Amino acid sequence: MRVSLFVTCLADQLWPSAAVGAVDVLRRLGCAVEFDERQTCCGQPAFNTGYRPAARALARRLIEIFEASAADAIVSPSGSCTAMVHHYDQLFDDARWRERAQGVAERTHELSSFLVHQLGVEDVGASFSGRLTWHDACHGLRDLGIRDEPRRLLRHVQGAQLVELPPPGAETCCGFGGTFSVKYPEISVAMLDEKVDAIERAGVDAVVSGDASCLMQIAGRLSRRGSTVRALHLAEVLASRP
Amino acid sequence: MRSGDARREILHAIRTNLESSPPVQSSPSPERRGGQGVRTPEGRGGQEVRIKHFTEQLAAVGAQCTTVRSETEAAAALARILADAGARRVVGSDAPLVQRILAAVGNDIVIDRLERLSRDELFACDAGVTTAQWGIADTGTLVLESARERSRLLSLVPPIHVAVLSVRCICESLGDALARLSVASHAITFITGPSRTSDIELTLVVGVHGPQTVHVLLMEGP
Amino acid sequence: MTFERDARTALADGQLRGALRQATTLFGERRRAALATVPDWEGARDRARAIKDETLEHLDRYLEEFAANAERAGACVHWARDAAAACDIIGGIAERRGARTVVKSKSMASEEIHLNAALARRGIEAVETDLGEYIVQLAGETPSHIVVPAIHKTKAQIAALFADKLGIAPSDDVATLAAAARDALRRRFAEADLGISGVNFAVAETGTILILENEGNARMTTSLPHTHVALMGIEKVIPRFADLDVFLQLLPRSGTGQVLTAYQSLITGTKRRAEDEGPEELHIVLLDNGRSRMLASRVTRQALACIRCGACLNACPVYRQIGGHAYGSVYPGPIGAVLSPQLFGLARSAALPYASSLCGACRDVCPVKIDIPALLLHLRAQVVAEGVAVGKGHLRERLAFWIYATVMVRPRLFAWLMRAVRSLRIMPPLGAWTKWRDLRPLAPRSFREQWRAGLGDQRGPDA
Repeated sequence: MRVSLFVTCLADQLWPSAAVGAVDVLRRLGCAVEFDERQTCCGQPAFNTGYRPAARALARRLIEIFEASAADAIVSPSGSCTAMVHHYDQLFDDARWRERAQGVAERTHELSSFLVHQLGVEDVGASFSGRLTWHDACHGLRDLGIRDEPRRLLRHVQGAQLVELPPPGAETCCGFGGTFSVKYPEISVAMLDEKVDAIERAGVDAVVSGDASCLMQIAGRLSRRGSTVRALHLAEVLASRP
Repeated sequence: MRSGDARREILHAIRTNLESSPPVQSSPSPERRGGQGVRTPEGRGGQEVRIKHFTEQLAAVGAQCTTVRSETEAAAALARILADAGARRVVGSDAPLVQRILAAVGNDIVIDRLERLSRDELFACDAGVTTAQWGIADTGTLVLESARERSRLLSLVPPIHVAVLSVRCICESLGDALARLSVASHAITFITGPSRTSDIELTLVVGVHGPQTVHVLLMEGP
Repeated sequence: MTFERDARTALADGQLRGALRQATTLFGERRRAALATVPDWEGARDRARAIKDETLEHLDRYLEEFAANAERAGACVHWARDAAAACDIIGGIAERRGARTVVKSKSMASEEIHLNAALARRGIEAVETDLGEYIVQLAGETPSHIVVPAIHKTKAQIAALFADKLGIAPSDDVATLAAAARDALRRRFAEADLGISGVNFAVAETGTILILENEGNARMTTSLPHTHVALMGIEKVIPRFADLDVFLQLLPRSGTGQVLTAYQSLITGTKRRAEDEGPEELHIVLLDNGRSRMLASRVTRQALACIRCGACLNACPVYRQIGGHAYGSVYPGPIGAVLSPQLFGLARSAALPYASSLCGACRDVCPVKIDIPALLLHLRAQVVAEGVAVGKGHLRERLAFWIYATVMVRPRLFAWLMRAVRSLRIMPPLGAWTKWRDLRPLAPRSFREQWRAGLGDQRGPDA
């Protein structure tokens, strides 16, 4: 299977181990991975903050880049960026562009969803010793319906013990919300503290999530609060070997 | 602005704004929409299950229930309820059944007729007795229709409300009940348990402006 | 900006935050338990939304039908273009009645139009009778939640308030406090000449208005006085009597987790016979106040489907932290964030569409499936397109996004810029982040650098 990696600007620059891990796992499962260097950003920050013309321009670029790929699937280590691509058709009044957007969206998958539903795999042969808890990133959870897939994958990781986050729970927003995190930082951090309190109560070695944006938010507060709990991307855990 | 002008302006504003939005496929015909009334099978099996369901729901919502098989039993039950509550002034509705039952209650209580009461006197009553036109099994609800009985204030103002309900008048669901009602009644009241509030620190208090006690006398029989 | 300042005040209020956490958690749990008792919850949501869509698509027709049937049953129907007109109509009715005191049951629309203040200017006292609203009125405050308006107050605060205003001995027993309010209000009910209520649903087919409640104060307000005034937004109408079923299944469960509230009053016009119980006069006031404008777009129109259950407030992780007052509007929380800018103007409420992390929890719990995040995004796009200033720093933001857009369409520039930032260790001015959160140090090489450096040449085990 040929996969074209939709790396996402955040993972590329700020959490590259997530992207490297994703490539590693995909190759281990027999996929040939290509990476088109022309990609930059899917436009989500612009779209979410109200800058639609900018978002549209970036959407067009991304659509053109991935249309040109003959890969069987476009895979991304980010639920929110995948969801953005799935919403691209809403950006265009032009019917042709909407069609092209839908064409790319159909082939674009978030990593855990791709592994479980397209490759039919739950055990990727990973090995990671420790107590883990999963944080559901909002767009992946509510826009793409990703809930079981990462949990199934993590449960098959040798040596890993997966526990559910105590209230307010795995499904509660970490408070990032893109520019929200710096527009209303006090509210963002108030939400974040409830999440970090729960992580600490869970008594885990690491919190795992499928979106680097959430991880940045959570990791930033964990370290500021002097916690030893690590924040890891799903792909990093799945790429781990003994 | 005169009301007629306002009406014209508002309707015009609505139409103009609706027209300016792009058209979509028209929604399916209205007849297929709406609530889904569930018709329950009649017959003894169906009714017994429904009665049981109703009494369970009554308990769940904090209403009391006593099953009686005759007006005599109803009067005895009512006497007990009033005595236990220390109720001295009792008012019955204009339903003939209520008047008969009250007349048979022995106790040393003062029975009033609503028409003869001043507002202050109504507010000073201890208990109001009415019938209910319907019960809803799914929710433990009593339904009162103003065209059938003058029960609106008696089921509201006194702190105790006793409602006589025939088991034959229990329907299964909300949808069922709605289908049986007509707006020949200018006021239809659904009552589910006693009045309540959690406005102070989310702590439940039963008995605020409406009755604190709701007691259903469930009448079996022909 | 007011929102930021009020949010900060709320965040500093530990007691408020504890109360909010408790309330939203409890209502969330109760809602989840309650919806399990509906065999096809999703189907019910879809049906309800379809009914609302159908109604809004033909709102003029259904309003006319409602008005005709209500009038045929004896009601007097008034049409009010805006808040001032509605206050004028209701004030006029009260004055013609010679009413000095009116009793009010819960009506958010009445708060939207500032009715109490308008009546006060005519020398008419309006007494709130919903316990939470009564408390808030005595305290001279505004409600902080749609369903539990006084959630921000402790029983100690309420006890002190009642001791001061009602002259009772302070008590920390909730039942005693409620009883004090009951006694004080009972007199008002008995004496009131005029009662003002809201409307939850208005049935076009029959001209019926339906009012839900738990306390009995709405029944008192609408059955004892000589005159009943019912105020409703024009979006409250639904087509058929049978449609009430699905909404009564959804609203109480969504709002408080109850299967049904203690009372539903279905009022159709006035008494048919002189000896019937109830008001002599029923006045229904239909309020536009910006709602008709919202019909122009399908995205904005869906906010008119709202049945005011409060479920979105209970689900919202932002509301949970800051409560209702910070939103600065009679409609707080997620629905408030999309309704207030549209009713009262974007300039007045420009911060509200941004007061969200777009998590979507509200959309999950909305009984009529309003896509609040989509609406928030729509309003944000409007803010940018219209150049509305949202707090200080909005010019900086526009500059930042201009740079972002310019860089992102040029991949080589993007790669080069990030390499420069990396090697020169340039820290962007992100005090708003770093004040509370550490910034993860940049890895020595980005993914694309690693790809170029050899990661791209590697193959998988099977290749």
